[in-house]
Amino acid sequence: MVVQTIELEKLSLKDALDLATLIEEEARDRYEELAEQMLVHHNPLAQGFFRKMAVVEEKHRSQLSRRRQQLFGDGPGRVSRAMIFDVEAPDYDEVRFGMSPREAFEAAMRSEVKAHDFFAAALPRVKNAEVKALFEELRNEEIEHQHWVQTELDRLPADSGPEIDVSDEPVAH
Amino acid sequence: MDSALPVLQPKDFKSDLKPIWCPGCGDYGVLQAVYRALSAIGRPAHEIAFVSGIGCSSRIPGYTTAYGFNTVHGRALPIAQGIKLANPELLVLCAGGDGDGFSIGGGHLPHAVRRNLDLTYIVMDNQVYGLTKGQLSPTAALGRKTVTSSYGSLERPINPLLQVLSYGAGFVAQSTPADMPGLSQILEQAIAYPGFAFVNVQSPCVTYGEEHQQMKAQRATMKTLASLSHDPSDFLQALGWATHYGEQLHTGIFYRNPKPPPSYEQQLAERRAKLAPGALPRERILEMFQTR
Repeated sequence: MVVQTIELEKLSLKDALDLATLIEEEARDRYEELAEQMLVHHNPLAQGFFRKMAVVEEKHRSQLSRRRQQLFGDGPGRVSRAMIFDVEAPDYDEVRFGMSPREAFEAAMRSEVKAHDFFAAALPRVKNAEVKALFEELRNEEIEHQHWVQTELDRLPADSGPEIDVSDEPVAH
Repeated sequence: MDSALPVLQPKDFKSDLKPIWCPGCGDYGVLQAVYRALSAIGRPAHEIAFVSGIGCSSRIPGYTTAYGFNTVHGRALPIAQGIKLANPELLVLCAGGDGDGFSIGGGHLPHAVRRNLDLTYIVMDNQVYGLTKGQLSPTAALGRKTVTSSYGSLERPINPLLQVLSYGAGFVAQSTPADMPGLSQILEQAIAYPGFAFVNVQSPCVTYGEEHQQMKAQRATMKTLASLSHDPSDFLQALGWATHYGEQLHTGIFYRNPKPPPSYEQQLAERRAKLAPGALPRERILEMFQTR
């Protein structure tokens, strides 16, 4: 999880809203990518979960984007996707062939924790009061997201091994 | 942050073709890093040629919007060199796995390095033949057990970093998708280097790789050369760090020639320009053949 070349101390509210929007966008795109991986590898349950997460992240992204538009219009920003790396997006090695829905939820949970930790770590460096308030709000929202994932996780039955036939798949050595 | 944003974004280099690598494969991260590096370089996709050999990792050109050529096993470098010579204005990337580059195509590597065309060679080194279900590759560790080495490999692995350094490459680096910002930056610098640039990416095979090779293990053990105060212009120091290949994962630029020599295509253009005034017209040459 890295944010490059962004001086958090100098962030304006517009920059911060753009940054938060891009973080959600990156997470949405990653979940879509992971859903595609699960589709290709015949794992509809994990695919469905990652698709759902992509929809959730898109909802967060559009809320932030709307807020930015209401406050600052559509003018160009100073923050780009190239400046962030996997802030809320799950790492690529969070997934595996034949993963269970529970494992997919657990991967999402680790990503929510990662996002919370990002905002928590950024807060002491932020100088602008409005940005600080926004980051506190986003940090707290990540806690709410964790609760949501945990509730969903608790409803799942215990893992009983891979959901798909792996007989033609390689075995570990 | 005040500088102007690049016109091209990583998504501009993403094609509609969906990757079919195993979930968790390191190559997904390499692909993302390639998108990032290309957007930072700022050349549009139609000015880029991406050439590969055969293997899991060699599917990578198809996942970009650059011109792609998934060639023949071990022959990515000769074809990439041909493309660069035919159209020196193209930005040429070449990619493949460790088997493709160091075994089947091993004979091409020293000549590509000494010829020094301006291209970037990315090897996704996973120490195994993954596509064919897990046989020993040239970088597989001594004692490694696979389907073809039930009692452990008796062959010492190739050290690609030492090899390429000793051939005289002007840019030699190593990275891993476990360090995405580092990998993106290294690829960007390799592409920007005016000559043959080699990047060995420790991209773990999630299906046939061993536990200690996976990204979680890499994150825990890797060390950047910068943190070890390595000077990338110091060739002898680079050789020293390169000897640790297979024992300790060092990431960063091992060597970058501070005074890059002219590339092959530059020299060729200069020679053509020098000889052009005295060159016979094409018709005159054809006449000479007809009279003999």
